[in-house]
Amino acid sequence: MSEATVIYDERLTVVQNASCDGEDLLLSPEDLTRVSGWELTPEGVCREGLCVPVPPGQERFNLSRLARLLDQPVVASSEHRVWFFGERPQGLASRLASLTAPDFTLPDLDGRLFSLSQFRGRKVFLVTWASW
Amino acid sequence: MRPRGLEIITVALDSRGAEGAGEWIRAANPEHPSLIDVEHRVAALYHMVNVPTGVWIDEAGRIVRPPEVAFVDNRWIEYTKTDMTRYVAGLRDWVARGAASPFALGKGEIRRRLSLPTADHALAAANFRLGQYLHAQGHWEDAIPYFKRAQALRPESWCYKRQAWALSDAEKYYETNFKKEVEALAGEPYYAPLDLPQESA
Repeated sequence: MSEATVIYDERLTVVQNASCDGEDLLLSPEDLTRVSGWELTPEGVCREGLCVPVPPGQERFNLSRLARLLDQPVVASSEHRVWFFGERPQGLASRLASLTAPDFTLPDLDGRLFSLSQFRGRKVFLVTWASW
Repeated sequence: MRPRGLEIITVALDSRGAEGAGEWIRAANPEHPSLIDVEHRVAALYHMVNVPTGVWIDEAGRIVRPPEVAFVDNRWIEYTKTDMTRYVAGLRDWVARGAASPFALGKGEIRRRLSLPTADHALAAANFRLGQYLHAQGHWEDAIPYFKRAQALRPESWCYKRQAWALSDAEKYYETNFKKEVEALAGEPYYAPLDLPQESA
């Protein structure tokens, strides 16, 4: 068991006693909730009203296995002990297909944060570029 | 165009952040928000594959033109194969006329044009993000396999390719470069062609 860095829902958490097996990340119930918001309950592992049945009596919960069950992409670096849990393609696709422009918050050069949603009420021409 | 109700928001997809995009932004000294996106989050949210990519968003926060090539002049016509002055004229027309503009597309047409992410695309995005994270932590060489996996899962993304090449020696670590990859297109367009309304008589 050792330290692991977990990025879940864009939030980075460092846990002290994770165990791993390849891309599988096993966490204590407390760390599971701290990292991902999922909670072990008698109904299974639950978050935001959604419950997934799991065998009872697990001391450590395999978050990577849950992600695979939910079609959520998981990528890990076992060397650097970092796990990245990405967004489900279904979530990305349905949000885009709704035609509501996905919101984001990003800094400018001076570190001031801007969100797309603060420009509601005006037309917006959003354009990406790069120095590469 | 700002006084007429258009807000321009530029987003630099640049893993090197201010170090990459900063000098360009300072030189342009723009009045509009000029944002920096080190993790290419906007590209993931809008399913973009290249730069410059533009999206038109109306007052209610709805997309009225989905992601498409968005130069404002014809400097890169060799790559765009489109008269970009018509795109800019369309933008002005939309600012003036709103939903009545033929450049503002209907919902059905937008959905027809939208490219939606698949499981492979989501996995590509996760690989890119882990590569980006490792690179930012100083493990730039260990980031390369993740960037390569992102490129393999989504070969149509020039963002994944060009960003990764720019972070190391493309020839040495990816055995390629921009010129070679463009030549490999063998006449296929570098940018998906713009689909603008016919000019009225």
